[in-house]
Amino acid sequence: MKVTTIMYKGLAMAMLLLLSLCTYGQEETEANSEQLTVNCQLNKEVLHSTMIGLGSSNVLDTYLSSYNYKGTDYRIQRETMRMTNLWGGRVANQSLIDLNADVNKNHARNIDEYAGGIRYTQGWFYNFMGGNVVNPVERSQSHFNFAAGLSASGYLGVVYINRSGNNPAQAKADLLINVSGMATYDMVIAKHHYLWRYQVSFPLMGIAFSPNYGQSYYEAFVEENYDHNVVFAYPGNMPSMRHKLTLDIPIKRYTLRVGYVAQFHQSMFNHLKYHSYAHDFMIGFNKYLYRR
Amino acid sequence: MKSVLRLLILSCSFLVFHSCVKEDFYDNTKQGNYEALWRIMNEHYCFFDYKKQELGVDWDEIHARYSYKINEKMTNAQLFEVLCNMLAELKDGHVNLSAPFDFGRNWSFYEDYPENYNDSIAKLYLGHNYHIASGLKYIILADNIGYVRCETFEEGIGDGNVSVMLHSLASCNGLIIDVRGNGGGQLTKAHKLASHFTNERLLVGYISHKTGKGRNDFSSPKAEYLDPASDGIRWQKPVVVLTNRAVYSAANDFVKCMKLCPNVTIMGDRTGGGSGMPFNNELPNGWTVRYSAVIYYDQDMQHTEFGIEPDIQLSFSGADIAQKKDTYIEKARAFLNEKRWTK
Repeated sequence: MKVTTIMYKGLAMAMLLLLSLCTYGQEETEANSEQLTVNCQLNKEVLHSTMIGLGSSNVLDTYLSSYNYKGTDYRIQRETMRMTNLWGGRVANQSLIDLNADVNKNHARNIDEYAGGIRYTQGWFYNFMGGNVVNPVERSQSHFNFAAGLSASGYLGVVYINRSGNNPAQAKADLLINVSGMATYDMVIAKHHYLWRYQVSFPLMGIAFSPNYGQSYYEAFVEENYDHNVVFAYPGNMPSMRHKLTLDIPIKRYTLRVGYVAQFHQSMFNHLKYHSYAHDFMIGFNKYLYRR
Repeated sequence: MKSVLRLLILSCSFLVFHSCVKEDFYDNTKQGNYEALWRIMNEHYCFFDYKKQELGVDWDEIHARYSYKINEKMTNAQLFEVLCNMLAELKDGHVNLSAPFDFGRNWSFYEDYPENYNDSIAKLYLGHNYHIASGLKYIILADNIGYVRCETFEEGIGDGNVSVMLHSLASCNGLIIDVRGNGGGQLTKAHKLASHFTNERLLVGYISHKTGKGRNDFSSPKAEYLDPASDGIRWQKPVVVLTNRAVYSAANDFVKCMKLCPNVTIMGDRTGGGSGMPFNNELPNGWTVRYSAVIYYDQDMQHTEFGIEPDIQLSFSGADIAQKKDTYIEKARAFLNEKRWTK
């Protein structure tokens, strides 16, 4: 295992533990609850964030090749967050469109691979601290906010290797229920608010598409001989996670958002191994709108 | 609520960190590449049982025998030669090793046999005024027999192309489809052409794919059908399909289908076979390996990996060659004309 991999895993593990432990000490008070209700009524804000990113990619798909392909990951994320009236205004809604494209090469660097896809996620987060996770800078009573919840996501993608044959490409599709955690920290420096946000999510269960071990797409889609092509996904055969760390920097009337996204998508269906690891540095802008 | 979420997050993180899905053993040495090739074939190749039965191939014994020939001081060319020799034991035209400097193959399925085809002579039958419909070259011969030369199934053959061709040949007394030397291409195109020669749905074979790494991990065979062409013309007159040992892969499957169609007679030599659908993989050094991955049986659940026998066996005549005549085409014309008068 490479040092960078250990470093990434260590970092992610530390953040996870921090997030989990922090949920221990958070006690609700009636005052907080009342304040929340007020916030909920007052807060009509919607956060739109658009980011583009560039980073590294590492894809393995043993239907196509026994070995990793590594290269560059290009990413666009569009996120919308808003507070809802659920549970006294403690629940935030997040929708996320995540579009990525990879250009990779094999170890010998003589074969190209193109991979990419789009994931749409709709999630609901219960806010344990009683603050506003959409715009904590404006509304929160605390510098810290912690939220956790569930999300539903759908993915469509493809991996293509530019060598001839009957297995040049692999389609990717899944519908998943995910568990997510989110932490925000409002850092104030010289009266300026800098907002840190960290989010992690894991697929909990769902369904995914996979050809069988040696099944051709011709057999599946022309002859219509399906064979375990829709599989039940759970952490045992799809141990995946997504991390996102962002920093919102106010610049006059605008908010610049910079961040780091790490995605570890893995699966093992029908004895076929797949992983897609991506680490991206992201940059973009936030926009706050007010609902009527 | 908080406890449940905390438990979920910790459980998931534990699972993720202890469940890395990694690539297989990667070792870009001579030994590493040798082992990788043997393992890829061991886990994916679909004809081990059949090759053991027909050729006595023992893949484990082959591993022991060839591993002694590998050492780290050998050149890439020497490694390539040893690996190709190992693969050649399978006698499978779909098994290839591709390096930047060479293409490893075993083409004994046709190189060890008479070609029974002379391109220069065959071209005399087409002349200069033949038509081409999506790679299908066709003309009406002097005795009102249609002649179609199908050299490959790589071309985009569709119902429209075939129907236009058959319409042009509609007045002919019979049709010759010459697939000699056709090394295959797309299975869908082979079936598309064959679908114009049946009026009923035909059971043409069975398909079975691997379901795991074990040599006997196969799916239960699923029936494969040839449906009659729903668009365009379906040919109702006698047909002769000309074959030789170089008819391989999708072309072999075309012959398999045509043999079951009414009014169709297969004439010539046994086909080359190649009934496994090939997949590709690669070695740590970047060389590409191709192997048969999916088994296509015939309608009796028999292998056609080593070819299909014709209904009428033919051999090229030296006398015909001297007279610049194609024995196969002449015999087919005589057969179709005789059939016409018999009728």
